[in-house]
Amino acid sequence: MTPTSYSEGGLAKSINGAVLPDAPDLARMRTERHARLQAQMAAVGVDALLLLGTNPVGYTTGAEAPGADSGRAGLMRPVALVVGGDPQPHLFTPYPEGAPADLAGDHLHPAIYPELPDGAASAAAALSELVPAGGRLAVDELPHPLAAVLDSYEITGASGVLGPARLVKTADELACIRTAQSINETAMAQVQPRLRPGVRQNELSAWFLEAIFDLGATGNGIDPIWQVMPERLADGPWTTHGDVAFPTASTDRILRAGDVIWVDTGIDWRGYASDFGRTWLVEAGAAPTPSGRQAAQFRRWDEVMAAVLSILKPGVTALELGRAAIDANGGTRPWIEHFYLAHGVGTESAEMPMIGTDLGDAFDDRMVMQPGMVLVLEPVIWDEGAGGYRAEDIFAVTDDGWVALSDHPYDPYGERSW
Amino acid sequence: MVITAGPGVAALPEGGRVDFARLRRERRARLLEAMAEAGLDALVLGRPANITYASGARQLWTAGARPFGPGAVVMADSGEVHLLSTWDDGVPSEIGRDHLFGLSWNPGRIVANLAAIPGLASAPRIGTDGWSPGAGALVAAVAAGAEFIDAWPALAAARRVKTVDELACLRTAAAAAEAGMSALVEALRPGITERQLMGVHAAALARLGLPTPPIEAAASLMPGADGKPTALRRLVSDQAAEAGQMVALTAGALYAGYEATLSRTWLVGSEPGALGTASAGQRGIAGQARALRDARVAACRPGPLPASLGPDQSAGAEPVAWGVGLGMEAPLLGAGLGTGTELSAGMTLVVQAWAAGLSGPGGALEADLVLVGPEGPESLTRFGSCPALTAD
Repeated sequence: MTPTSYSEGGLAKSINGAVLPDAPDLARMRTERHARLQAQMAAVGVDALLLLGTNPVGYTTGAEAPGADSGRAGLMRPVALVVGGDPQPHLFTPYPEGAPADLAGDHLHPAIYPELPDGAASAAAALSELVPAGGRLAVDELPHPLAAVLDSYEITGASGVLGPARLVKTADELACIRTAQSINETAMAQVQPRLRPGVRQNELSAWFLEAIFDLGATGNGIDPIWQVMPERLADGPWTTHGDVAFPTASTDRILRAGDVIWVDTGIDWRGYASDFGRTWLVEAGAAPTPSGRQAAQFRRWDEVMAAVLSILKPGVTALELGRAAIDANGGTRPWIEHFYLAHGVGTESAEMPMIGTDLGDAFDDRMVMQPGMVLVLEPVIWDEGAGGYRAEDIFAVTDDGWVALSDHPYDPYGERSW
Repeated sequence: MVITAGPGVAALPEGGRVDFARLRRERRARLLEAMAEAGLDALVLGRPANITYASGARQLWTAGARPFGPGAVVMADSGEVHLLSTWDDGVPSEIGRDHLFGLSWNPGRIVANLAAIPGLASAPRIGTDGWSPGAGALVAAVAAGAEFIDAWPALAAARRVKTVDELACLRTAAAAAEAGMSALVEALRPGITERQLMGVHAAALARLGLPTPPIEAAASLMPGADGKPTALRRLVSDQAAEAGQMVALTAGALYAGYEATLSRTWLVGSEPGALGTASAGQRGIAGQARALRDARVAACRPGPLPASLGPDQSAGAEPVAWGVGLGMEAPLLGAGLGTGTELSAGMTLVVQAWAAGLSGPGGALEADLVLVGPEGPESLTRFGSCPALTAD
């Protein structure tokens, strides 16, 4: 079948029978996520789930926390505890104002500090009141001070619970991703016209950051990338594998006429990540015009996208999608060796499913597309001697095909064909 | 040595400002000394600040707590640092390309990359700055016979007293954080939302050439009289400012990974730049917060932890002070934390105070970055108080 273009009403397509809503119902989303976690806990025989990671806690509780660097986020962290059979999660947080309004008062607790020796003991005491000793406790992170006080539990990893729950999104989750992406795209549309020789990378970041919060973002996920690409691999940073270096951190680098920049930004909206990638050109004055080779790179990128999307539907394997991309690129792998053709996005900016990683063909062959899975497709067309083209777009697998969660032009390269 | 050229981010031809080569050398020496003291043969580090401390690599800023995983390995015997980096961009020259290992999703490859680090597989005592059932199993698979130990005491010992170059970075971050605060104060006007102020703050720092700030929560408008004690709130909302409201502003900046943070409580004027007239109640609360901050700053002296910074104290429900260097770090003081802490000259702390009335004016937050000096405290951040809230 030919997938419906999202510009032609594809948004009405169903995901596990549910219609993608214009705006997410956050309370319903939390209830459905909690039910998935409970079902998965029961399936793998876990009595309680103790989560410390910023994004897993957000997924589990719906709690929001201010954006912070990893050091602060590690010490001042919301912590989630899900007890088997309990209708709601417990939340321990330094930011009670971020707790969902429908979280019961006896499930909202003061902050605990599991990374500190003098905080771990009180964390264990709080835990012991909620989870009987001897229980099987699944954890995502286990800082040494916490491990030292949890010896009355049987400890196991949380990935067996979190992984399956998060792999497939509810319709409300998809609406969150689409909202995040829309904010990100609108902000980038405001930034791109200001690109010209003499502008510095950090100035682009300033415009972007001001715009996303003006548009309602709840956080910035990653320092914006505005990487100037070399024409030849040998001109770029040295890499361990000889392939393209990307993404490298921005500085106050002054952008020059003729620069090809791969942009990559990501924001947070209500716990969900966006992922924006395009290739931009720096020229003075009027709109830049791609060279013949640059235009051909974009056409090739578009062909790869079209080939993948033409077979994307439930039942297709990641391996088949990867091979379709390689075939459309004339037998050459159209992605960077340390990355992938596609990754998922949700409460993590990159999560399963992934296509084309070094986990290998056998892994990809077992990864079968299901309705509600999300793919950020990011083919890279490298054209040694003339740089390359990279852009990414987000798709959800529907009950019979796909629907796009991103919608942004490819200026100054042209228009997509799919 | 101080930064004689004054704080700025441009490189100077004579080599002024921060001597980054010396900064990295001295950090690494301190780390190796702390490892020797703790009897650690190797360190496996996952927290970006620790990776920066050990390697000096310029890393990409991402939000949130990074899950534990092997990002850098430090070997005690050789003193060498091995770094997870697929490219050499942002990697100091003293870390050779043969000391880089690339990003991988494949557990088998990650184990092989780590096992190739000379001495790691046979190291008897390995310190890690985190652990998880997944990533921990990978590290354990590399060094099957090793004892895995909490690396934080050794890391904290190395990081707590700052070198001259670390202080120079912190002073630069302080100037940048003040720029963020200045932008916030300038932007205050009726109608602007807390979320928009967050954008103003982030943009001001980005214009200086700095990455996304360490904290994004930049503004907290104080609600009017609702009869309840006002809580210290960190998460911004879409609430719009009204003339006459107090607002707690927090600005923070990272320079070369080093953080400075300060908070001030301001009064929203009737138009941009207008001072406004505060009520006696507002001035009283704001004055209480300033006095409490001043008292806590004055207590930042070498020696046993004073009661004013002790576990019984709190700012709202938060600690009253915490270590700051490459971001927030131990010790956290107050809110039940910090028992037995000794303060030493050369430590840097963010010290904060929160005062709230039971009704009416709301609350006030004040915070500064403070250097514990041998002769007494020095506030590294400097920014005036809101004139409308200091007038008699």
